[in-house]
Amino acid sequence: MINQSLSLPNNEEITTAPNGHRLLSLGRHMTLLIEKQAIIRNVWLLILLAIACVATLGMGSMPISPKEVIAVLFGHGNVMSQFIVHDLRLPRLLAAIFTGAAFSLAGCLMQTMARNRLATPGIIGIDNAAMAFAVSSVVGMGVSLAPSAMALAGAATATALAFGLAGGSGTRGYRFIVAGIGIGAIAGAVTQLLLSQVSIDVANSAYPWTVGSLSARDPMMVKVLGIGLGTCLVACLFLASQFALMPFSDQVITGLGANIKHIRIIALVLCITLTGLAVAVAGPVGLVALVGPEIARVLARYRGIPLISSALTGALVMILADLFGRTVLSPIELPVGIVTAVIGGPYLIWILVRRTSRTSL
Amino acid sequence: MISWFYIAPAQRPLFSVFVSALFVLALCCFCSLLFGAGGLSLQASFQTLLGNGSADAQFTVFHLRANRTLVGLFVGLTLGIAGALMQAVARNPLAEPGLLGVSAGSSFAVAITLVLGASTATLTVGVAQFGALLGCLCVLSVARMQGQQNDPIRLVLAGAALSSLLLAVTSLLLLFDQRAADEIRFWITGSVAGRDTNTLFSVLPSMLIAIICILYTAKPLASLALGERVAIGLGHKPQRVRAVVIVAVALLVGGATAIAGPVAFIGLVVPFAARALVGPDIRRTLWLCLPLGPIIVISADVVSRLVAQPAEMPLGVLTAIIGAPVLLLIVRSRRMPTL
Repeated sequence: MINQSLSLPNNEEITTAPNGHRLLSLGRHMTLLIEKQAIIRNVWLLILLAIACVATLGMGSMPISPKEVIAVLFGHGNVMSQFIVHDLRLPRLLAAIFTGAAFSLAGCLMQTMARNRLATPGIIGIDNAAMAFAVSSVVGMGVSLAPSAMALAGAATATALAFGLAGGSGTRGYRFIVAGIGIGAIAGAVTQLLLSQVSIDVANSAYPWTVGSLSARDPMMVKVLGIGLGTCLVACLFLASQFALMPFSDQVITGLGANIKHIRIIALVLCITLTGLAVAVAGPVGLVALVGPEIARVLARYRGIPLISSALTGALVMILADLFGRTVLSPIELPVGIVTAVIGGPYLIWILVRRTSRTSL
Repeated sequence: MISWFYIAPAQRPLFSVFVSALFVLALCCFCSLLFGAGGLSLQASFQTLLGNGSADAQFTVFHLRANRTLVGLFVGLTLGIAGALMQAVARNPLAEPGLLGVSAGSSFAVAITLVLGASTATLTVGVAQFGALLGCLCVLSVARMQGQQNDPIRLVLAGAALSSLLLAVTSLLLLFDQRAADEIRFWITGSVAGRDTNTLFSVLPSMLIAIICILYTAKPLASLALGERVAIGLGHKPQRVRAVVIVAVALLVGGATAIAGPVAFIGLVVPFAARALVGPDIRRTLWLCLPLGPIIVISADVVSRLVAQPAEMPLGVLTAIIGAPVLLLIVRSRRMPTL
């Protein structure tokens, strides 16, 4: 009798959402908690992204008006603009969106997990290692795997090494980052070594890729990246409530009933997948991972972990950087990696210089 | 010699360690003249060294190989000393000209002058040294600005950020100018091969100034290692000492970069090895850096000739492969518990 009166009703379900949120029930046992502000924010970002896309498709050595671009996208318009938009500019735009979103999402996850704004895949050497492995398959060192697979292997190797060498300190603190810087330096040296072994033609064709460029992408790898990005985005949506715990200390997370190890491993796997696939397409453009999540965090007013917004802002930054590099000094094309380095470098220094931070990140 | 291993590094007799290091250095130089990529066999090289070889062999050994040995000697010497000085002034075992963006500042300045119309043959060393000075000041001011106690990692991160920024701007400059890009392509990978030894003579005056600076600062630096207040109490002026050291570092790194291009990690490995051998006192370490730097550069150069025959591996690649594990070792060591 006493037992019965103390126990909670078995079939009670959470039916009321916290303020500013909405519950979306999927089936009987699954509900998604959605923040209304986030929806509005992401819709705005999507609109901005669409505008940027139309502008990008229209701009170039052969300008096309926005009206014409929209007509072409819906299957109308003349043959010339159809060719330019569909065959020349759209694949590049898609590659920019995918890589930007992937780098930025990976950066946001890694920063949250390490509780450190500087811990992005580019800085801890994952980019460089993925690059070195991918280059080894391109220059044909007797390995016949696809560059995507090799880049994934490289990313995983670098992460494992960084963790192993950082010793017991886990993902926290700066030791992890410095271990990564060392691994990045070795991987960069290996890339140079591989490129110095092959003929000058092969080395020259691989060069734009090693500084990060969208002009040398492979359509197959863009497709693989698209699929990977889609999967990771869906995974992030469903795991958002778990990832939201990561800013707390380990004890609090365990106290709340979540398994900190599982969360970390999942976040790491997502990071490695996204970074590896994106590097296989565009080379190391890692500074997007630093800038994209920051913009998203400002837009979200430092509340929660803006995963989806980060992906959107990353795509936006990548499109604009590529557009800038493509048009501002035409006919010379600046590789997107150089544009982002010129933007991201001062930003990195600013992070280090300023005295107080608004959040723990 | 074996008995050294049982003595604490700080108590080892400096003179005998120094002399043995000199002996190893002589051995390295000998190997550097003996081994090489290309057609000349080991025996033929040896015969040439003894004085009876063909004209071709004599040219290879006494001109090509001797030149690069000389350049390696100079680069190792300057970068090793610069690394030791920088680590002393930043009180940070990770401070290194390559990691902190001093070399990057130097290459940036060189790239600008190339774009403006100079050529690598007539490159003035002063430009590279000025760039190194600017890079040095930038990174130290960034690290100093946040007003916290000296955080070793922050300095390295600031250096990494500065390096990546300067490298990006450098490649941006080179995109516009095909001629400058062709000129700089062989220089920027960092190598001791095929460098002009005439540049060595134009560097000598500034090296003299650097030596005077080092002689002036060695003692104050040793007391600065005990802390700023102790140094002031002992009658030194920390600010002035730091300024002099920074000038010396810029002169050394700029000179090395002008001749061999940016070579990373030498300034990290050499003082690390020197400290392991004779302890942390800067006056002892500096002495040992003199032979250790050339030993590492020349032996790395010999290996880079041998591993990828008949081609050669860039020296910068090899030093990165040696240096990065040392970086990890330092980061992992128990002396850096604050990380």
